[in-house]
Amino acid sequence: MTIPPIDAELALAEMQARRAQVVDSNLVPSWFWFSIGGLMVLFVAAVESEIGWLVATGSVVYALSLSALILAMVRKAKVQVRPDLLGVRGGLAIAAFTLSLVALGLVLGFLLEELGVPMPGTLACVPVALGLAAGGPLLMTHLRRLMLSRPLAGGSR
Amino acid sequence: MSDTPIFDELIHAPTRLSLVSLLAATEWAEFKFLRDSLALSDSALSKQLTTLEDAGYVEIRKSFVGKRPRTSARLTELGRQAFADHVAALQQIVARAGLAVLPDQVTH
Repeated sequence: MTIPPIDAELALAEMQARRAQVVDSNLVPSWFWFSIGGLMVLFVAAVESEIGWLVATGSVVYALSLSALILAMVRKAKVQVRPDLLGVRGGLAIAAFTLSLVALGLVLGFLLEELGVPMPGTLACVPVALGLAAGGPLLMTHLRRLMLSRPLAGGSR
Repeated sequence: MSDTPIFDELIHAPTRLSLVSLLAATEWAEFKFLRDSLALSDSALSKQLTTLEDAGYVEIRKSFVGKRPRTSARLTELGRQAFADHVAALQQIVARAGLAVLPDQVTH
């Protein structure tokens, strides 16, 4: 069977649109990054306060909130994107994003401690949280572009 | 390794083309996601999935999350290959048309 070229082109466009639909439904929303950043700062501040009840309350609130966030994400996910759409480049982008934020937090934290600044951990967490809130959506945009750029039938063999 | 261009009429039917395209981008997809994405009724989606399952293109999994039943679907290896071959066939049709309309390749 043969079909007109325009129909073939429309069919390919439909395939691409459906892939975009799957990818978009899997991206981590901006509120998640913002929430994780905020929680992290509050948790580190609670621990660094060294006030017993605050440390205990902060830890419990952190654990419960983090669980709720992750649960919300899992419940939202109705579909699992094929890993080969993400590929090595996607994995490296995620690793680079994570490692750079961890490195920023550690370096800044130790530096502030060395300088005798009070609450160094909390202060170091602030730019990391901002990095999460700002960089998370950027990372998602990058990964989306990457996944949509893969060949339509890529990785099938 | 390149895919062999094979036009697949089973996949090319409009609803199934959309369905298989969604499945091709996923490992597993929930029935509800497929139904909502394609704006189909439960019975219409079931019918399409059964057709693809009978052809060996789709695997359907039924599980429970808590007490709720959850149905998911995914393309089998055969289904993925058929999709890849169909994509190659469509791309070939488009490419040939592209060559034909290039002024310097028109033969008289």
